[in-house]
Amino acid sequence: MMRIRYYIVLFLGLLSQVAFSQNVRFTASVSKTQVGTGEPFEITFSVNAEGASFVPPPLRGFEVVAGPNVSTSMTSINGNSSTSTAYSYDLVAPQTGEFVIEPASIVVGGKRYTTAPIKIKVVKGAPVQQNARSGSSQGSGADDLQQVSSGDIGKSLFIKAIVSKPSVYQGEQLTLTYRLYTRLGIEANQLDKMPDFNGFWNEDIKSKTPYVQWRTEVYKGQAYRVADIKQVILFPEHSGDISIEPMAMTFVVQQPVPTEDFMEQFFGNNVREVKYQAKSNKVTLHVKPLPEVGKPADFGGAVGHFTVNASLDKKELKSSEQLNYKVTVSGAGNLMLMQAPNAIFPADFEKFDPKVTDSLSENANGVSGYRTYSYLLIPRHQGNPTIEPVKFSYFNPETGRYQTIATPSFSVKVNKGPTENNVTAYADDEQDITRTEKDIRNIKTDDVDLSKVGQGFFGSIWYYVLLLLGPLLFGAAYAYRKWYEQYNSDIVKVKSRKASRIAAKHLVNAQKQLNAGNSKAFYEAVFRGLYGYLSNKLNIPVADLNRENIVAGLRARQVQEPLINQLVHTLDLCEMARYAPVSGIAENEVFNQSKTIIHDIEDSL
Amino acid sequence: MILKIACKKHRLVWCLLGFMVLPLLSLAANPATEAAFAKGNSAYAKKHYNEAISFYKQIVDEGYQSVAVYYNLGNAYYRNGDIAWAMLYYEKAYKLSPGDEAIKVNLQFARQKTADKLDPEPEFFITRWWHAFILAFSLHALAVLSIVYVLLGFALLSYYLFAGTVLLKKASFYSGLVLIGLGFISIFIANRQLHYFNHHHEAIIFGGAVAVKSTPATAAKSLLVLHDGTKVGVLNNQNGWMKIKLPNGNEGWVAYNNVKQI
Repeated sequence: MMRIRYYIVLFLGLLSQVAFSQNVRFTASVSKTQVGTGEPFEITFSVNAEGASFVPPPLRGFEVVAGPNVSTSMTSINGNSSTSTAYSYDLVAPQTGEFVIEPASIVVGGKRYTTAPIKIKVVKGAPVQQNARSGSSQGSGADDLQQVSSGDIGKSLFIKAIVSKPSVYQGEQLTLTYRLYTRLGIEANQLDKMPDFNGFWNEDIKSKTPYVQWRTEVYKGQAYRVADIKQVILFPEHSGDISIEPMAMTFVVQQPVPTEDFMEQFFGNNVREVKYQAKSNKVTLHVKPLPEVGKPADFGGAVGHFTVNASLDKKELKSSEQLNYKVTVSGAGNLMLMQAPNAIFPADFEKFDPKVTDSLSENANGVSGYRTYSYLLIPRHQGNPTIEPVKFSYFNPETGRYQTIATPSFSVKVNKGPTENNVTAYADDEQDITRTEKDIRNIKTDDVDLSKVGQGFFGSIWYYVLLLLGPLLFGAAYAYRKWYEQYNSDIVKVKSRKASRIAAKHLVNAQKQLNAGNSKAFYEAVFRGLYGYLSNKLNIPVADLNRENIVAGLRARQVQEPLINQLVHTLDLCEMARYAPVSGIAENEVFNQSKTIIHDIEDSL
Repeated sequence: MILKIACKKHRLVWCLLGFMVLPLLSLAANPATEAAFAKGNSAYAKKHYNEAISFYKQIVDEGYQSVAVYYNLGNAYYRNGDIAWAMLYYEKAYKLSPGDEAIKVNLQFARQKTADKLDPEPEFFITRWWHAFILAFSLHALAVLSIVYVLLGFALLSYYLFAGTVLLKKASFYSGLVLIGLGFISIFIANRQLHYFNHHHEAIIFGGAVAVKSTPATAAKSLLVLHDGTKVGVLNNQNGWMKIKLPNGNEGWVAYNNVKQI
């Protein structure tokens, strides 16, 4: 039983310890850091948790007028309740000099927390910061605690520009916060000037609530009411020292006015409203350039910390159908500034520029979320193409190195689509022919004109034979002419050669006359034929031709005697028949005989 | 008798000529192939393209080549939507008859349907003119033309030897020389065309998307992807790989089974 209880307590203790250890703040603050001797002021030690065994510091050099006053407040936000406790003392410093208030300590959840020491300067006399216009610098003004001169509003109300990192890489995001510190009541405010943020890409952080959240913070030992009035995420666009101009705001504040009138003092009407312009400090950022060493070739300017993923909506489709390929880059960094990752698609994919969708959120830690590039792809042809992995490179400012991550690769099965062969979209950029003709020309049907493969006419044996035929023909013609000229150069021989042809002509005529029954003309023709023949053959002019020189000529050419006799006989017969009718001899016989004679003489010569 | 002899001589010349020309004509007269061609044509006319292809293929498989058959095969494949095959046969027909207008037109149509639009490497204009000049007529036409020119030229020269008048002699001599000159020019052009085709081996890509590799190995880096029907130049062959040259000047290797030489 005891053991169980022990454990429960232990567990609860641990739990509370965990809960408290999250952000325990134990602070010490004073209402003034410079006081006059005998001037009361307040020191407050506050803890935002339930603490135990508070040990106040030894307040050496001060007299405790009142206190400790312990006040506890409890707030509950969304069911998370938090407690804060303040221990305050009213002190008076009797002597001048510099005093240090030592740290106080408290135990929260078993752990001891201490405050920072506070330095107090005690000066001689009454209120140090006397209002010049009040004109009464008596000791009575010593209790005029909230008195602040107009020149000193800046100490009670100011804006600080705070950057999350004083030194960043180019493109690395940082948060700029404008924090308002005030110890005065603010009646109204107006934003005068926001800096231009030249040299930066900036994103405003939208406040979740319409009003600013006030909290208490100790700054330089004094407690202020603090609010973050503006937060901007900045992305430096170039390297070097970049200054951010101050931001200016005008406030109307309540300034206490010292007064002699006790009643007025009592009822709190001793304030007046003052217009005051507050300017933030000028911030200079040191922006380092991205290192060139190890910069990937495909680096697209992404700085931060990212992951990349890809997805494909289909694994199998027909050609000319659509395919969606998504590349998602998620993480924190300059997502909106980076270039699209270099996605390489198969060559025959028709691709369109990616559609970019962002889902980004800005908060005090910077911009984070994801950006999706969706590519619409249309494979034009069947096959099994592979979509290569997309490599994404970014610079990680935390490690100071470039990192490259890749998506998986996808293989797609593209089936033959119905329209693959009817892609007419390309028809315009081709030749002029397309404009005049709409379709292919018809087949050839008239002549097959076959030949064996590799046995063309050109270069074949027959080709060369036919080609050589020309020169051969010419050569033959030339040789023939040569021979012909030689042959016809001797007139006697030519005449003799012509003899039989002339005789033949006469004999043909004789034949005609014979058939016509014209015997006189027949004998005439035969006679002329024989005479002409002999004249040519024996090279004797017809006028000189007589029986004697015919016989002599034939004998000289060694024609046989019986043939000569027969010729002479026939010639006589013809001569006789030309003038007187001849009987007893058939004309036919004469004709044949003369033919035979010519033949025989031709043969014998 | 003498007349008879002259007559006999003429017959001899005709016989000789016929004897020479007949073997050339005898191929065309092959009845089986003629019939296959006619059947192919009628099947094509009836839009039975597969049937037409099989008839034409029959002629090609017998080892014949013919401009008409190649061209008709190309048309049949084109109608069937087989652009790669259409390209192959159109190109074959083009090689046999580079001056044929119908082949050029249909090649353009087929080329439009191929996926790859490759810009040809720019040719020096004189080179381009020269190629157009030597490819204006088919090799066969040039061969026949050269024979005709040479024979006619020598016939005129022979006539010159026997011509009667000086005018005829002059006319026949010079025209004969010109014709012989033309004959030799056609022989030269035919020779150049033969040389051109012997040194311009080309191939057609087959099989969807074909990866062009940097070296002849499957594991090699892919340079680019080519598709059905693209014409490439062939540089050399090696262990089942073909080194190709693209019209735009790029070179690479493709597996042998993905290409068919024209």
